Amino acid sequence: MARPYLEAHGLYKRFGALEAVKNVHLTLHPGEILAFLGKNGAGKSTTVKMLSGLLLPDRGEVHLLGKNPFREPLALKHLGAVLEGNRNTYWRLTPLENLVYFGVARGLRLAAARKRAWELLEEYALLGKAHTEVRHLSRGMQQKLALLQALIHDPEVLLLDEPTLGLDVETALLMRDKIRTLAQAGKAILLTTHQMEVAEALADRVAIIHQGEVVVEETKEGLLARFAGEHYVLELEEKPALEVIKQLRALGVEGEGPFFFRGNAQALWQVLEAVKPLPLKKVAKGETDLLEIFLKVVGHA
Amino acid sequence: MLDLFLAEFGRNLLALRRYPLELLGAVVTLSVIFYLLFLGARFLAGPGAEFGGRLEAVLVGYLLWTFALFAYTSLSFGLMEEAQTGTLEQVFLSPYGPIPLFLVRNLSGLLTQGLLVFLIAMVLTTLTGARLSFHPGVVLPFLAVLLGGYGLGFAMGSLALLYKRIGQLLGLSQFLLLFLLQAPGTGPFLLLPMAPGASLARGMLAQGAPLDLWGLLVAFLNAFLYLGLGLFLFGRAVHRAKKQGLLHGY
Repeated sequence: MARPYLEAHGLYKRFGALEAVKNVHLTLHPGEILAFLGKNGAGKSTTVKMLSGLLLPDRGEVHLLGKNPFREPLALKHLGAVLEGNRNTYWRLTPLENLVYFGVARGLRLAAARKRAWELLEEYALLGKAHTEVRHLSRGMQQKLALLQALIHDPEVLLLDEPTLGLDVETALLMRDKIRTLAQAGKAILLTTHQMEVAEALADRVAIIHQGEVVVEETKEGLLARFAGEHYVLELEEKPALEVIKQLRALGVEGEGPFFFRGNAQALWQVLEAVKPLPLKKVAKGETDLLEIFLKVVGHA
Repeated sequence: MLDLFLAEFGRNLLALRRYPLELLGAVVTLSVIFYLLFLGARFLAGPGAEFGGRLEAVLVGYLLWTFALFAYTSLSFGLMEEAQTGTLEQVFLSPYGPIPLFLVRNLSGLLTQGLLVFLIAMVLTTLTGARLSFHPGVVLPFLAVLLGGYGLGFAMGSLALLYKRIGQLLGLSQFLLLFLLQAPGTGPFLLLPMAPGASLARGMLAQGAPLDLWGLLVAFLNAFLYLGLGLFLFGRAVHRAKKQGLLHGY
């Protein structure tokens, strides 16, 4: 696998008595989207701020393409960020002026920034609003512009904190497509969101932070498979007799039909034996989604 | 860095073009304050009072004050506004680093500040009948005053970065600037920020004195000392703000 674009080792941050982030390790590889999930106050934003060089960790190190942004500010050339709770752009300037300004502030030459700004405005369908002050744009357009501001210098690493929050369905879907395309083009993206369907649709890997600690970190497929393997769904063509239900309960089966059974494949045969000879409608491995997993993880962590 | 200067300069021009009333408001307010003080002094002195060269000296001091005022306050007000509107963190993501970026930002604001002072000078010389002799060499002591002002501005910017709401302190300390700019440029006053440069500029503009090179050297030494001190404090404040997570929010 290619060398990670972003590496964080042993990040620790304390605010007074609160240990906000404890020993967090993260890596981001080229072309990868890591969904970084957690409840409010779990330590997501604190971690993102440390990754972007805005918050000095008490312990631990961050490397952006091998460089420490706290010691070498030039490392920030490799980073673009959409920060949640921020406007990210100047509301008294137009999208074009914002992009040119931030392009230069991120290290581009003036002419290059202007050229890139026009390209991005065209690609993201904001050309018609290039000369409109940002404060007059819709929320969706402002959010799109925030993403363009992060992209203007074509950085390898993107930190996107709630990039689709508050957007209408159409714009949110468009942003999802764009984020996916960016990853396909080789960007390493850390996506922080409370919208689990967004994370599930985009992520290659998932990290869940709870009370300042990363409690889960693995590929999305692996995570879904691991949690899906925990239960089976059983549906019968007719309602079982009370005796059968008692037997099912004794085996740990839940529900009134469909029935849910948590256990391995071998134990499932005992359940099937108990309902025999009733006609089966469906026996399937239970499917799960990221929301369910997230709730389980933060509930049990 | 030149591109950054041009980008910042462009941003200033856009603000000037898009919001000309803000500049006009500053010209009117600052002109009215001086004119009212002038009328008050004339009333107290009696109808036949003649100010002689003192009017010019006071006017030059006042113009220097308006110039220094912007150098002194612009960074802090800028930081407070950006923290409030939520763009400060994006500014801190610049690979140039905050100190070079804010230095360039200050320098690029010179045109707006110069235009403001020029307009005020026009208004006040017309209203008061004062005669100012513009020697091109006066730009140098003005520059020294400005550098010292930026130094104090960075020191106040440190507080703005850490505590955000320092508007009252800025407002009150503006009057301290008046004292510094009217202080004589001799003896221990030479150690005060901006005082040597201001004294030199006053002499040249109000009394038509030639440029004193020795005085200019002292003025620049003083200016770089306070600029260096301001930058040092600002650097410490940036470190502390990053350590305590103070870049976000207001």
